[in-house]
Amino acid sequence: MIELKNITKIYEVNKNNKVTALQNINLTIKEGELIVLKGASGSGKSTILSLIAALSKPTSGEVIVDDKQISKLPDNFASIYRRDNIGFIFQKYNLIPTLSVEENILLPLVPLNPVADELQEKLISVMKKFNILHKKDSLVRNLSGGEQQRVAIARSYVNNPKIIIADEPTANLDETLSAHFIEILRELKSLGKTIVVATHDPLFFDLDFVDTEIEVHNGSLVV
Amino acid sequence: MKNKINIYLIEYAVNAILRQKYKSIFIIIVFTLLTFLLTSIFFITNSIRYELDSTVEALPEIVVQKIKAGRHYDIDVDDIDNILAIAGVSDAVARVWGYYYFENAGVNFSVVGVDSFEEQYKGSLTNIVDKFDLNSENSSMVVGVGVKETMTRNYYKSYFNFIKPDGRLEKVDIAGVFDGDTQLESNDMIVMSKKTAREIFDIPQNKATDIVVKVANQEEVQTIASKIKLLYPDTRIVTSQDLKISYQNIFDYKSGIFLALFIISLFTFFIIIYDKSSGLSSEEKREIGILKAIGWKVDDVLKEKFYESFIISFFSYTLGITLSFAYVYLLQAPILQNIFVGYSQLKTSFELPFVFDFQTLFLVFFLSVPIYIAATIIPSWKVATLEADEVIR
Repeated sequence: MIELKNITKIYEVNKNNKVTALQNINLTIKEGELIVLKGASGSGKSTILSLIAALSKPTSGEVIVDDKQISKLPDNFASIYRRDNIGFIFQKYNLIPTLSVEENILLPLVPLNPVADELQEKLISVMKKFNILHKKDSLVRNLSGGEQQRVAIARSYVNNPKIIIADEPTANLDETLSAHFIEILRELKSLGKTIVVATHDPLFFDLDFVDTEIEVHNGSLVV
Repeated sequence: MKNKINIYLIEYAVNAILRQKYKSIFIIIVFTLLTFLLTSIFFITNSIRYELDSTVEALPEIVVQKIKAGRHYDIDVDDIDNILAIAGVSDAVARVWGYYYFENAGVNFSVVGVDSFEEQYKGSLTNIVDKFDLNSENSSMVVGVGVKETMTRNYYKSYFNFIKPDGRLEKVDIAGVFDGDTQLESNDMIVMSKKTAREIFDIPQNKATDIVVKVANQEEVQTIASKIKLLYPDTRIVTSQDLKISYQNIFDYKSGIFLALFIISLFTFFIIIYDKSSGLSSEEKREIGILKAIGWKVDDVLKEKFYESFIISFFSYTLGITLSFAYVYLLQAPILQNIFVGYSQLKTSFELPFVFDFQTLFLVFFLSVPIYIAATIIPSWKVATLEADEVIR
């Protein structure tokens, strides 16, 4: 379970310029749920995802995941938490363009120094699952937007995380590819993953497998 | 079971080097060049210092030269008897020697005259006298390797015609080639009988170029030198210690030029280091941010950066050292050697002896590799310890 308690997040642009991204929000996400955070750009959706993924720390309040307070984790423990629990699909995919598809998907596992045979088996199964195996040796920079997104999903899935986070996943996709992504989400949910999606794409609204839609407006949740 | 060494991390580091191909090649070229230059300077310095030390060791304890109006003149051979009478002098030998300028090649030969029945003042001369008969009817000589090469290049394969001061020729056969105690000293040397040397330099029988004096007790060299000076006020007394200081001064002066080169190389290297440590490109920062976001710890990032910088710097270091070995000891350091042996236009060239010095290799290693690694790791560490979210944004 993910709990955000009295979270406030203030970004300090410079000494005289502070931006309040989140203002005293409370949110609970149960295991296996799929939550869609809706709202305009700059409303604070991405900041919520960042806090859940321990990519940043709240200015005040607590982020608790499976009864562990992750908002106060030292940097190295936060990395281990992400590696073991989180699969993050970024808006701009955040792939390394000069690496191949296979190398990008492998990245979260590199620090674990996995056994070669097991690793190869895992990589092939993940690439098959997200229909990118035929491009395994291609450089990511040479792929289409849809293919790049599939690589990003495969990378977020390869460490078998409990929580999958997607930030504006369809922002760079056409309608067909967006629909395809939604089908992938449906499948991930059926596998029991907890999923948090931040989007302003209407395609995500009123989907039958979405548990909760939450509106984020000016750093606050609108129920 | 897990491997202890993370091959995937090393593979990632190698990939990172290959991905930034042009940047990596540029760094390798600069790094190799600097290592090469530094090591070459040290190798040449070590070799020449070794040569000079050996030369100084072989010098006679005291040399007595006749001086008139500040100029060097031939000394009376009879003076030897008075010098031998000084307590503490174990031997005194009149030397006949001089520089012969071979115009065709533009080089100077050091011509040394010996008598086989005299005790030689140097071990290398004793060996030559024992091995070759230089006092036979026909004039003959034994030449250093450099002299032999110079003569052969000028079609003097079995003999050489010296031009005497009166313009007549003195034909001297080449009896053999010798390798002396040191290359620097023996390479341009010709050893012949005193009789022939006197002919070439027009030195009369009762005169010599100078007198070398052997002293039984090293502690007494200065005292005996003073006594000779008192006995012959018109002489210059040169002790081996004086010569050592003189050689050392020349060497130190030349070392200064090398020191300047050394400082320039080091300065250039530190500019690169400063540039590298002053920050990462936005691409590099973003990559670290991504790695952190997908679960890499700070030490995973640093380990990868360590491998990356170690591979580049150690490869360049090894390449630089290898090139330097080849340049100094196989090619005999063209251009750089001339800075030290600046009078090479007048002297025959000599070979740099192989002097292997681990200290040099360690010094160059510690001046380059760890500094480069630190300059790579420190900015990466700065970025890796920031919040991943901040770096990606």
